[in-house]
Amino acid sequence: MSVTVSPASTISSASLPSEQASAEAWCPFALLTLFAGAVLWLLASSLLGLRDSLNFHNPALFAGEGYLSYGRVHAARNAAMLYGFGVPAALGLGLWLLCRLGRTQLAGPAVVFMGAIFWNIAVTLGVAAILCGSSTGFDGFEMPAWCAPILFVAYLMIGLCALLTFHQREPGPLYPSQWFVVGSLFWFPWIFSTAALLLLYVPARGVLQATTAWWYAQNFDTVFLGFAGLASAFYFIPKILGRPLHSHYQAALVFWTLALFGSWGGAPEGAPLPSWIISLGVVGTVLTAVPILTVATNFYQTVHRDVNTLDADPTLRFTYVGLIFWIIAGAQQIVSALPGVSSITGFTWFGAAQKELFHLGFFALTFFGALYYIVPRLLGLEQGAWCPKLLKGHFFLTFFGVLISYISLVVAGIGQGILLADGGNSFADVMRRTMFPVRCIMLGDLLVALGTILFLLNFAGVLAAAFRQCRAERKGRA
Amino acid sequence: MNSGPLLFLGLFATMACSWTGFVLAPQLQLGGLTQTNTVVVGDALAQTYPLPQPGEAHAGAEIYRANGCAACHTEMVRPSALGSDLQRQWGLRRSLAEDYLFAQPVMLGAQRVGPDLANFGRRSDTNGIFLRLYDPGLITRGSVMPPYRFLFETRKIGLFPSPEALVLPDQDAPPVGYEIVPRPQARALAAYLLSLRQDGYLFEAPPPPLPKTNAVPTNAAPAAAKPAPK
Amino acid sequence: MNTDQPTHSVNQNDAEPVAGRSTVPIWLIVVFGLLFYWSQLFLAENAGGFNKDVYSPYPSYDEVAAANPQDPEAKRRTEGRRVFMTTCYACHMATGLGVAGTYPPLAGSEWVLAPGGNRIAHIVLYGLSGPINVKGQDFNGTMLAWRETYNDEQIADVLTYIRSQWGNNARPIDPQVVKAARAEGRANYESSDELLKMPVQ
Repeated sequence: MSVTVSPASTISSASLPSEQASAEAWCPFALLTLFAGAVLWLLASSLLGLRDSLNFHNPALFAGEGYLSYGRVHAARNAAMLYGFGVPAALGLGLWLLCRLGRTQLAGPAVVFMGAIFWNIAVTLGVAAILCGSSTGFDGFEMPAWCAPILFVAYLMIGLCALLTFHQREPGPLYPSQWFVVGSLFWFPWIFSTAALLLLYVPARGVLQATTAWWYAQNFDTVFLGFAGLASAFYFIPKILGRPLHSHYQAALVFWTLALFGSWGGAPEGAPLPSWIISLGVVGTVLTAVPILTVATNFYQTVHRDVNTLDADPTLRFTYVGLIFWIIAGAQQIVSALPGVSSITGFTWFGAAQKELFHLGFFALTFFGALYYIVPRLLGLEQGAWCPKLLKGHFFLTFFGVLISYISLVVAGIGQGILLADGGNSFADVMRRTMFPVRCIMLGDLLVALGTILFLLNFAGVLAAAFRQCRAERKGRA
Repeated sequence: MNSGPLLFLGLFATMACSWTGFVLAPQLQLGGLTQTNTVVVGDALAQTYPLPQPGEAHAGAEIYRANGCAACHTEMVRPSALGSDLQRQWGLRRSLAEDYLFAQPVMLGAQRVGPDLANFGRRSDTNGIFLRLYDPGLITRGSVMPPYRFLFETRKIGLFPSPEALVLPDQDAPPVGYEIVPRPQARALAAYLLSLRQDGYLFEAPPPPLPKTNAVPTNAAPAAAKPAPK
Repeated sequence: MNTDQPTHSVNQNDAEPVAGRSTVPIWLIVVFGLLFYWSQLFLAENAGGFNKDVYSPYPSYDEVAAANPQDPEAKRRTEGRRVFMTTCYACHMATGLGVAGTYPPLAGSEWVLAPGGNRIAHIVLYGLSGPINVKGQDFNGTMLAWRETYNDEQIADVLTYIRSQWGNNARPIDPQVVKAARAEGRANYESSDELLKMPVQ
């Protein structure tokens, strides 16, 4: 079902080369739907996060009928972040990279567009259902059981088009980003269907549900989102600097070791599981030091001659900062997997800090960096279509928001852990003493939300510019 | 690494490795768990463990799930080498796979914004639970747990005041002639919370060695632990 | 959607990135190797032999079993059987029937079933040479002395074992009996006549 006409053919009846050229300048709905939806869901998750962090200032606020109580909003925020933002962002990035690197057109853009619509409808219904009390209770897989088939079908629609796009690429060697995209797209259906089956449809017995849920969450973050973000970093950093990526072989090492070791683990120390399951997870997590070190080396060697120019281009800036956050989040995960450390930091804010840094610091920043490059090209505009002030504001608000949230959570987590390690401290007392950093999280959420709003304004401006340009073209031709 | 099919094959093998190790193997090992007997010391009687949840507790698990209680509470006790859980009297022993045999769904949680609940049924009672759900600040000063007042209703006192009516301090008390009673959801949730207990030692987590005395051994935990600070 | 030929003038950096051919540095391989080595050590100590009954902090199944309250009777029977199957069965056979003319049977033997265990304790501790009459038949072999090989509990366990196998049904032997026999400090290789002179205790 490889549809090779441009999606613009669904809008205009252009078929002559000259008209097709201008039709291409019009919105390719498929990718922009994915991107716009992702950004809106990111904003939604930031607002839900704000509501949650309000709980630590005044627990009684919004507690009313339960729709906005902490537990439900927490689950809804996870769903919005991972499924509303994470998956469509990864899909959109992946599709664009496959087209670019394969030097081909998107296969089946109408199908991708439909898939994106279905996906967003399913997530909207799912998040609403969670707020009404239908969450599944599993961290990372909160959306109710009836959402899963819709999400799966929507994903398959988009994923098959990606597969076809990859298949119809121009012959030639594969660039590392292509492996990462293919890996990411391949991983999701497998982990999602396993989780849906074993958690919801044919529930596994007892503690095996928890094992599966932990395995799924680990794979979703480290492999699915990790690969998607790394694909973007591997593409944009060398591309914009105009230098080759330092090493193809190091990239291959990153790819295989991250797939192999990053997919092991998830179960926290002290979980009610035989020690081998937890120890294998610890081993896998510690061995992810290899891909982290390799990425650091590879990119350092790629950019070290141009370090001064890294901040000049917005895409480059977002991407390299995102990559640094990926390295920090990965290092933190390794440290917190060690039994000595996890006996202190286990089940504290420390784990939440790592997830926050990974999702917002790494994935969101990398995604935005890519968007700043991709969107004008999709719309056939100049790079300068973005408003520089809004762009700068977006970067700094998001950067500092992430930093404030992360540092507050780390301080709260370590404080909570150290105080709790002494059995003489009452739990309530420890929580009272660590409340201050926890309250600071609200500031971080607020800054990120504001940054996203600035981006949306900028995005709207770019869309308007594209619209005006297209109309001017049509008038010019008429 | 330029061949699409080889790439897929490699990814498939890597995924299969992870899936086998973390989904299939645990299922093979733990999927056949059945009820077992507690480990006893001396003349005490071994008991079947675990026991299935009573019906109301099962309904309460649904309330627990729906309100995302697992966002703040864990339901797993760590061994003493990995944390101070046992020191805090959060359980008799660490949690084991056997403990969750009849739990559906299994909501182990990921973070402790509030205390662990694996053995909440051993250290609480119905009234305490209702009061805490209605206004956690009454029980724990400065608590960040949100109140769950929608699980209760304020109604006119009938012929006699309800035995379940909450006894609240003056500033929170209902108007004269009215009482605050738990709704069925609150009762179910309380039943679930009271059913959370991991009693009895099992083979995988045996009782600690007895002190060398001439006293008749019993199945209780040694009295050496500190009393729970609150 | 052909993004490679935008129709309006955009940043013309259309060359796609290429990947260089630098190799993986040696230090990275060394780090990988060291981490892998560490991981094997970690698994050896902390994976509990991949046994489903081993939870941290117990390192192995044996330790879990040892930490469980032991049934002393079962433990003694197990040890007695182990000793028998390691050492005694070679001559007295796993059936306890011995070898005609050389090694006496233990099944139904009046020596084994005597009310007190001191005579058979002596035999095991100090050995026996010369003829011995068991169940009306003579046997002329040599039994080695085992007092250097086994301690009092083990000998008591194996004596208890043989007194409860093959239809034998006599009371267990207390390690004190073996201890008292050992304290007598006899020379090795007693004869059956000497033993018959000892009262049964």
